[in-house]
Amino acid sequence: MTREPKTRHASVAYHLAPGPNVRPADGAALPPQGYSTLEEALQAAGCYRVEAPDAPHEAEHRAASHLDIVCVPSGEPPAEASRWRRPRHERSVYNQAAGSGGEGTELLPWWSVPFAVEELGRLDKAGDLPLAPGERLRLTYREMFAPSALEMRKRTKETAARYVLMVVAWGLVAPVLVILAYLVYKAWPVLGPSFLLQNPHDFMRSGGIWAPLAGTFCLVLLSLLVAAPVGVLAGVYLNEYARDNWFTRIVNLAVMNLAGVPSIVHALFGVGAFVLFAHMGRSLLAASCTVAVMTLPVIITSTREALASVPKAFREACWNLGASRWQTIRTIVLPNSISGILTGVILQVSRAAGETAPILFTGAVFFTPIADTGLASWFPYTLQRPFMALSMHLFTLLTQVRGVSDEIQYGTAVVLIALVLVVNSLSIGLRVVLRSRKRW
Amino acid sequence: MTPHIRFHQVTVRYGSNVVVRDLSLEIPEKQIFAIIGPNNSGKTTLLKCTNRTIDFVPSARVTGEVFVGGEDVFHVPDVYALRRRIGMVFPLPVGLPLSVYENVAYAPRRAGIHDPAELDRIVEDCLRRAMLWEEVEDRLDLLGTRLSGGQQQRLTLARALSLNPEILCLDEFSIAIDPVTTMKIEDILREMKSRTTIVLVTNLVQQARRLSDYTAFLSDSQLIEVGPTEQVFTRPAQRLTERFVNGEFG
Repeated sequence: MTREPKTRHASVAYHLAPGPNVRPADGAALPPQGYSTLEEALQAAGCYRVEAPDAPHEAEHRAASHLDIVCVPSGEPPAEASRWRRPRHERSVYNQAAGSGGEGTELLPWWSVPFAVEELGRLDKAGDLPLAPGERLRLTYREMFAPSALEMRKRTKETAARYVLMVVAWGLVAPVLVILAYLVYKAWPVLGPSFLLQNPHDFMRSGGIWAPLAGTFCLVLLSLLVAAPVGVLAGVYLNEYARDNWFTRIVNLAVMNLAGVPSIVHALFGVGAFVLFAHMGRSLLAASCTVAVMTLPVIITSTREALASVPKAFREACWNLGASRWQTIRTIVLPNSISGILTGVILQVSRAAGETAPILFTGAVFFTPIADTGLASWFPYTLQRPFMALSMHLFTLLTQVRGVSDEIQYGTAVVLIALVLVVNSLSIGLRVVLRSRKRW
Repeated sequence: MTPHIRFHQVTVRYGSNVVVRDLSLEIPEKQIFAIIGPNNSGKTTLLKCTNRTIDFVPSARVTGEVFVGGEDVFHVPDVYALRRRIGMVFPLPVGLPLSVYENVAYAPRRAGIHDPAELDRIVEDCLRRAMLWEEVEDRLDLLGTRLSGGQQQRLTLARALSLNPEILCLDEFSIAIDPVTTMKIEDILREMKSRTTIVLVTNLVQQARRLSDYTAFLSDSQLIEVGPTEQVFTRPAQRLTERFVNGEFG
C-alpha cells in the first residue's frame, strides 16, 4: 500500500480530453504521450476556454461544456480510459469571469479559470485529488448565471407538472361542452321564444314550458326570500358577535351537518314540518321553505367567509373611535363583504333551481291545469297551491308521459341547464365588478 | 397634580398568560406621560384597559380597577362615551376603507354630528393638526386605504383627534412616519398638552426623553419604575431601568 503512489506516479500519464466547444486559447497541441504529472496537466488545462457561441441557442449547450483530465497507464492511448464511469472528481468554474473565489462546487463555482488551476494545484499538493488509472477529473465550465444541472431538472419537472395539471383542468371543460352541444343539437327544432312562453298542451306532448319555468322562478325567488335574510343575519351573528363557547360550537356543527344532509331527507323534513305540521299543505310555499332550509347552511358559511375576509384592524379602529359593534358592521364590515355574500346567495339560486327531491313531496306536481288565456296563463300559481317546476317537469316528460317528442325533452333540459349557467355567470360577473372596487 | 388615569392593582390575563401583573399607576392630567419598556411588557394592554377595548379580546380577564377622571371604567354607564373621550393611535397605520374625509368624520358622525359645516371644520382642523392637510387638501374623496403608510398613520392620528378627546393615547405612533414629520407632530403634542393628557407608549427611548414629563418603565408585565422623566433618565432608582434607558438591553 505504501509504495502505491510511487508506482502509480511512475507508470501513469495524464491526458486532456476537452468536451465540445472547448479549445486551448493559444492553439497549442496536446503532447501525444500526455503529461507525466497532474500538475503539468493542470497548467495545460489552464489555457482552455469555451469558445464564444455562434448563436444564442447554444447557451444551454455551453452550460455543460467541460474538460476532462484522464489518467491512463503510460504508453496507452487516452481513448481506452473508461468513458462510461462517472468522473472521480467533478469541479466547476466560471468560464469568463475574473477574480479569485468560489468553492469549485456546482452551486459555488470557482470564479475564474486561473484561480481554478491554482486551487486544483493546491488540492493536488495536499493529496486531495488522487487519480487511479482509468479515472477522470472533470472541470465543468459554467456560464455566469446559467442554470445548473439541478436547475435544469427542476425546470423539466416544472414544465411537466404544469402541462399535466393543465390537461386535467381543461379536460373538465370537455364534458361540459360535449353535453351542452349534444343537448342543443337535439333540442334545436323547438328552441325559440314560443317554446319558453307557451304553456304545455295536449298532456305535455306539445306546447312550451312556460308554466314549469314560471314555477321554478317562483320557487327560487320565494326560497331566497326566506333563506337569504335568515342565512345572512345568522352568519353575521356567528362571525361578529358569537363568543367561542360550547353553544357557538354546537351551532357551527349543526350548520355543517345541515349542509351534508341528503336532499331527499330535506324533502321528508319539509313534509313533516311545513306540509303537515304548519298546515301549508302541498304548496308552493311549503316547497319554497323546504328548499330554503336546504340552501341555508351554504349561505351562512359563505356569509361568514365573506365577513372574515374583512381585516380585523378595521373593526378595532372603529371600536377605538367609540363605534358600537353594529355601527362597525353597518359602516365598514358589510359594505366591504357584500360582494362575497351576494356571490354565495346567488350560487344557491342555481342549486334551488336544479333540485328535484326537496320539492317532490312538498309541492311540485306533474301537471296543473292552467288557463289558456288571460292573466292566469301568465301567473298560474298562488302560494297555497301546488305548482310545476322545470326539474320535475323534465322528470315527468322522460318517465311519465308517453309519446313526448325528443325535442321537447331535450329542449326542457337545455332551458334548465341554461338557467343554471346564466345565474352562475351572473354571479361571477357580479364578483368581478365588486372586486374591482375593492377598497384596500 | 390630580391623576387623570389611575390604575389600581390591575392584573390582566390572556388565558393563563399574565400580561400585566398587579400594576398601580397614576397618570397626571395635562402632561405627557411616556410608557417605555421592551416588547411584551404589557404597554399596549394597559392602553386597551383604559378605553376598554380589552372587552373585544375574548380570552382577556381583568382584575383590579382603572379610573378615568375618577370613574371606574369597568362600571361606566356608557362605554362608547368613554371611548369617545380617549383618542387612540395604534402602531400599524389603518386607513378605513372610506374616503379621507369620511375617515376623519367617522367618529363625529357616529357621535351624532351631522351638520356639514361643522364636519368640514372638524375634518380640516384634525388633518392640519396631524400634518396631513396639505397633502390631501385637494383629494379628500380619495380612499384612505390608498394613502401611503406614513400618510395613513397621520390619518389615524387625525381620526383620533376628531372628537377632541381629553386623553390621547399614542402607541408607537411614529413607526411609519419620517423623522421630519415626527418632529412636527411632537411639537403639536407639546402644544396640545395644555388641554389634553397625552399617554405616549414608545420603544424610542429618546422620544420619551425629549417629549415627556413623566416616564414609567415596564418590564416583564410589571411596573419597574415611574417618576419625572429627568429623574428616570438621569438618576433611575432601579438597575434595570438604567440599563434600558442606556440601551444596554431591550
